[in-house]
Amino acid sequence: MEKTGFPLWLRRHWPGLVILTLMSLFPFLAGLAMGDPAAVPPEIQGVGRVLALAETGRAKFWQGMVIQMFILAVFAMSYDLLLGYTGVISFGHAMFFGTGGYVVGLLVKHAGWSAGAAVGVLLLVALLQSLMVGALSLRVKGVYLAMVTLAFAEFFYILAEATDFRQYTGADDGLHGIYPPPFLSPTDHRTRFYFLALVFFLTMYLAARRLVNSPTGRVMVAIRENEARAAMLGYNTFVYKLVALVAAGVMAALAGALNAFFNLGVTPSVLSVATTIDVLAMTIVGGAGTLTGPVLGAAIVHLLGYWLNRLFGQTWVLLFGVTFILIVVFLPYGIVGTVQARSWRWRAVWRERWRRIKEGRKFPLPS
Amino acid sequence: MAALLEVQDIHTFIGQFHILQGVSLEVPEGSITALLGRNGAGKTTTLKSILGLTPPREGKVIFLGEEIGGRRAYEIAAMGIGYVPEYRAIFTGLTVEENLRIAERRKGDLKRKADFIFTLFPDLKRLYRLPGGQLSGGQQQMLAIARALVPDNRLLLIDEPSEGLAPILIQELMGAIRRLSAEVTVLLVDQNFQMTSRLADRYFMIEDGRTVRSGAMADLLNEPDVIRRYLGAVI
Amino acid sequence: MKRYRAFTAFILIVGALVALGYGLFGPQKATAALLSGLTLASLYFLLGAGLSLIFGLMDVLNFAHGVLFMVGAYVGYTVFGNPRLILNTAPLFLALAVGIIAGSRLAPLIPNRRFIPYLLALAGVGVTLWGIRGFPLRPLVAFEPTTAGGAIPTALAQEPLSRMLLRLGQLALAGLLLGPVAARWGREDRRAAPWRSLALGVGLTLLAVLLLLGRDPLERFLLGLSVDVRFFLALVAGAATGAALGALIETTLIRPFYGRPITQIVLTLGLMFAGAELVKFIWGKEGRPPMAVPSLFAQSCRSPNLLAWLTERCSSIDVLGRAFPTYRLFIIAVGLLILVGVALLLKYSRLGMIVRAGVQDSAMVEALGINVRRVFMAVFALGSALAALGGVVAAPFVGVYPEMGSIFQLQAFIAVVIGGMGSYTGTAVGALVLGLARALGDTLVTTGIALPGMAQALRASPAVARASTVLMMAVVLLVRPAGIFGRKE
Repeated sequence: MEKTGFPLWLRRHWPGLVILTLMSLFPFLAGLAMGDPAAVPPEIQGVGRVLALAETGRAKFWQGMVIQMFILAVFAMSYDLLLGYTGVISFGHAMFFGTGGYVVGLLVKHAGWSAGAAVGVLLLVALLQSLMVGALSLRVKGVYLAMVTLAFAEFFYILAEATDFRQYTGADDGLHGIYPPPFLSPTDHRTRFYFLALVFFLTMYLAARRLVNSPTGRVMVAIRENEARAAMLGYNTFVYKLVALVAAGVMAALAGALNAFFNLGVTPSVLSVATTIDVLAMTIVGGAGTLTGPVLGAAIVHLLGYWLNRLFGQTWVLLFGVTFILIVVFLPYGIVGTVQARSWRWRAVWRERWRRIKEGRKFPLPS
Repeated sequence: MAALLEVQDIHTFIGQFHILQGVSLEVPEGSITALLGRNGAGKTTTLKSILGLTPPREGKVIFLGEEIGGRRAYEIAAMGIGYVPEYRAIFTGLTVEENLRIAERRKGDLKRKADFIFTLFPDLKRLYRLPGGQLSGGQQQMLAIARALVPDNRLLLIDEPSEGLAPILIQELMGAIRRLSAEVTVLLVDQNFQMTSRLADRYFMIEDGRTVRSGAMADLLNEPDVIRRYLGAVI
Repeated sequence: MKRYRAFTAFILIVGALVALGYGLFGPQKATAALLSGLTLASLYFLLGAGLSLIFGLMDVLNFAHGVLFMVGAYVGYTVFGNPRLILNTAPLFLALAVGIIAGSRLAPLIPNRRFIPYLLALAGVGVTLWGIRGFPLRPLVAFEPTTAGGAIPTALAQEPLSRMLLRLGQLALAGLLLGPVAARWGREDRRAAPWRSLALGVGLTLLAVLLLLGRDPLERFLLGLSVDVRFFLALVAGAATGAALGALIETTLIRPFYGRPITQIVLTLGLMFAGAELVKFIWGKEGRPPMAVPSLFAQSCRSPNLLAWLTERCSSIDVLGRAFPTYRLFIIAVGLLILVGVALLLKYSRLGMIVRAGVQDSAMVEALGINVRRVFMAVFALGSALAALGGVVAAPFVGVYPEMGSIFQLQAFIAVVIGGMGSYTGTAVGALVLGLARALGDTLVTTGIALPGMAQALRASPAVARASTVLMMAVVLLVRPAGIFGRKE
């Protein structure tokens, strides 16, 4: 029987749908499991109680952790559009993330704009910024490009730290008091913010998937595999790399803006090399060249950072560095990449065995 | 006569591509041996595999009675193999003198060999102080061969020396290779069958990464069908 | 032909910068600014030369180059002012190294199962932690900026010898356990002569024990030396540390991954970050004031001219009526010396010849029978030593602080982009152009820019000048992406 339409769609996408359902239920499950019953007045009962519980105790904290993971996952996905899909090694991705935070911060805090308008302007700013940085740095290739992008990122880092603009940026203290509209406040209505982040993550994931599955995405992969050949086939590789960089830049800037709203501020460290290394680690740990990889990587790196920090205090950075090196060396394709490669091999092995078994049935071995 | 170099059924991969799928050959001492085959048959890869630049994954390479598979290229070269690669690969930023001097394995190599080299290639003496990049194609080819002659090599691997040279220069080149073969064994790869057939004593033919025929060059010249089939050349 | 055009462009740019300086600030200030520019150029060059040589030869961009500069500065600073820290820690590193050498020699003895070396290594990491547990790093690091011959304030900071010897044993054991993995990692040199590693091991052991047993007299001896000798020792120690670290980085992080360039640079980027953290961990987050200068630059007076300075040994010299610190002249001299020295090395030595050939075609160099990997390591070590030397030279000028690595590395990157990556001349030119521009920029932002019709001159901090060099890089990328002297790919 031929399956078409909705049943086929369901069959193909059921793992994603299950995960989506779990993610949507997470705040309430967390509320029931980890909420602080004492903090909720006893007269609230039923659904209202579940909603209120989610805003208390460790449930609230873990919602925050997951929100941060969503934000970092979008950031890592955007980086992977460059590193994993186009083969462009940028060491300046923090600059887009940080710009997102600083632009909305400056507009909301100092210009008194609404969050929505600020994000709208940010889209424009990020577009211009990534176009300019891309047009300049994509004139060189390979490790050279890595160096140039790092220099551009340092430019913004230095400006954010410079004492000249202290009254606007707060210099090395950072810019604090970036409030989203009150009904979305991450402190008072964390569950609402959670769903905002979830929707944001989902939109970005679908957009990124749309891009990499489009003809443009296929040219990007062709450039990664062999840029000279892609150019020989008549593609203007510069334009396609620029498209990848702009898409990645805008996505990262939006993630940075949400990050600023969630943390109610930004510090210059979001523009620093450490941020780039974080996103690099997430992408590589999860698996460059896939979209699920960076998402998984973001979750792992964020959790690992949290636990290492709790266990070892200050030295966790060094331990993280060692783990990072081991992963880069021993899992060059990341978790998702390695599992995919293995599962293909496993599938091939099992298919072969299955074939032999069936053939064996048809032609029983002489005993 | 024991073979100076023996290659036994080597398999070489470049990336995922299985380029050599069983090449075997023997180079007796004091001869010129030709490696024949069409473009892409695997001739250059065979030379690189012998030298360890693209190490073979399977099979044996025996030089001077020692198994050398798996050693690093510089160790293999230092045992006495000179390499004259396709497209010459002389160092354009270095002078002719430096191009020769860099090949020294012991101090004084160049001094000892200078006379021999200059009788083979008198032009180089005139160009001695010039950067390699300013030499013509033919002069660069001479320099590349001369460079391989500086140390005491037992075997030269010469890859496509006649490529892009005018016919008159090819004549000169042939004379030089014939003369130097009195001193050192040569394994020669060249598309120019006119040239290889006149220089070489023996041949090995490869196709699709496999040795398909071998024998004395004189016998091959009596088989125009074979030549046409494997090389597309007409005598 | 192209070269002449590049030189013309270079002369024009420098000429324009000089003219701009004189036009804006008048001869007095401009000359001082240009001399400061030369000082900076000298430091940028010391960093950029290694970056560029390494990139040219092996297509590796070392993002940890700034860390080497910084480590050089810190080591030099410590040797100069607090040798106790070095005397107490160096033996531990030596013991670990001896253990690793011995362990990698013994590697063939252990059963050839894949996971066993890793299990041993895990144990080795454990033993290392055990060996350094409770090491009194804080009191050893804490020291006042010493003056000439000054003593260490924390007199009782050292652990007793017996405890230190125990640590030595523990770390040697740890190295032994780590050895098999190290051997697997650096697969290349397994066939090196055994007597060589034996000699090396014995030598290092002796050195470690001698340093430890003689730590008190050695410390008194070192601190009793004149400032000049100690400064020289700092230079040597800094450069040697840089060379050793460079060789270590090449063998562990670069060499195993020549087929995976992304892995190489990601690892060096990680090291850039981890290196800064490690320096903060050992020496603390706060920087330290500039190191004391040799006696030639120490008297607090102002000499009227160069000749008078050589006899008076003043700390500053009169340049068109303004005082200019003489130590900066020393930095310029060091830069020039290295510039010429390395150029001669490249032009006339066999190593230089191999490097020049290898920049073009390293596979062909190897086919000539030359161990090109060893040349790679030598060049990596040389480049790292230059960077570390630059760090030591910079320490009396800017002090030491954990951000200095990334700050100077950024400028060196920009210098290299301007000059042309992989070209030695280009690096020198880029460093010069950037140094001059940077000094003029610093002067400009601190004196202020007064546009007509403005009530107040526009002033800014040097950070803005530092950031603006990135814009210079952008212009170069726009006009000539390969840099002034760059090769076209």
